[in-house]
Amino acid sequence: MQFLMMVLSHPDRERDPIVPEEMAEMGEYNDALRKAGLLLSVAGLHPSATGARVDFQDGRTSVTDGPFTESKELVAGFWLLQAESREEVIAWARRVPFRNGRVEIRRVAEGSDTGYETAPPGTRARAGQAEPRDDEERSEK
Amino acid sequence: MRFMIIVRSDEEDERGCEPTEEDFLRMGRYNDELLKAGALLAMEGLRPSADGARITFGGETPVVTDGPFAEAKELIAGFWLIQARSRDEAIEWARRIPFTRGEVEVRPAFEWEDFGAAGTPEVRAMEERQRAALANAA
Repeated sequence: MQFLMMVLSHPDRERDPIVPEEMAEMGEYNDALRKAGLLLSVAGLHPSATGARVDFQDGRTSVTDGPFTESKELVAGFWLLQAESREEVIAWARRVPFRNGRVEIRRVAEGSDTGYETAPPGTRARAGQAEPRDDEERSEK
Repeated sequence: MRFMIIVRSDEEDERGCEPTEEDFLRMGRYNDELLKAGALLAMEGLRPSADGARITFGGETPVVTDGPFAEAKELIAGFWLIQARSRDEAIEWARRIPFTRGEVEVRPAFEWEDFGAAGTPEVRAMEERQRAALANAA
């Protein structure tokens, strides 16, 4: 089973400085994940001020630049893990070298799932007719 | 530059989705374009938050809370990790996703030049070794 372990952040907490000790601790943690054969991918994200959101509505798109101050929760980074069980991932999540903050664990949808239909990213009910996108607008925040 | 395109969830995603073969093929063609352009690094779709958990740090020990989590619009339903030459190029890829509704978020990933003093040679070597191991495993 694959799991996405996301670092959740709050718009007010996006600018926490990163200190060398934390970088080294995180490197050691990632090393442990890799040695255990769990680590598939990992990345940290810039604050949402450098990001953008793309909205889809009836085949039209609109772009809004960050920061996304109205959001209660933002993603600050992630690990993609291969694990035997949800419990195994939770045990690993507890070991993330954070003093404060929150991590969310979500199971990846796979073709072999039988509980309900699943899909790769976005291959979902919302994936309707793909229209040419020549009607684009861009809004500044 | 690496960018994460995050699919924001909604109530329908949280109930569990039932895509048709046509939906799969349409998204598959988009993913093929990413692949052909050498832009695709990783992608996954996520099961509803009812199957997930959150771990909160700050107390003596981390606290685990099982899903589902309220506020579907704040949740993540899937993601792509892509390689692009610029933020505009990443946004252009996001615009081409064959969605008719919903929202995705485009966020640049940290690179070493962002970290300054914290990215010591020792720390960098550690990550380079990890990335090499991941590439070999793939």
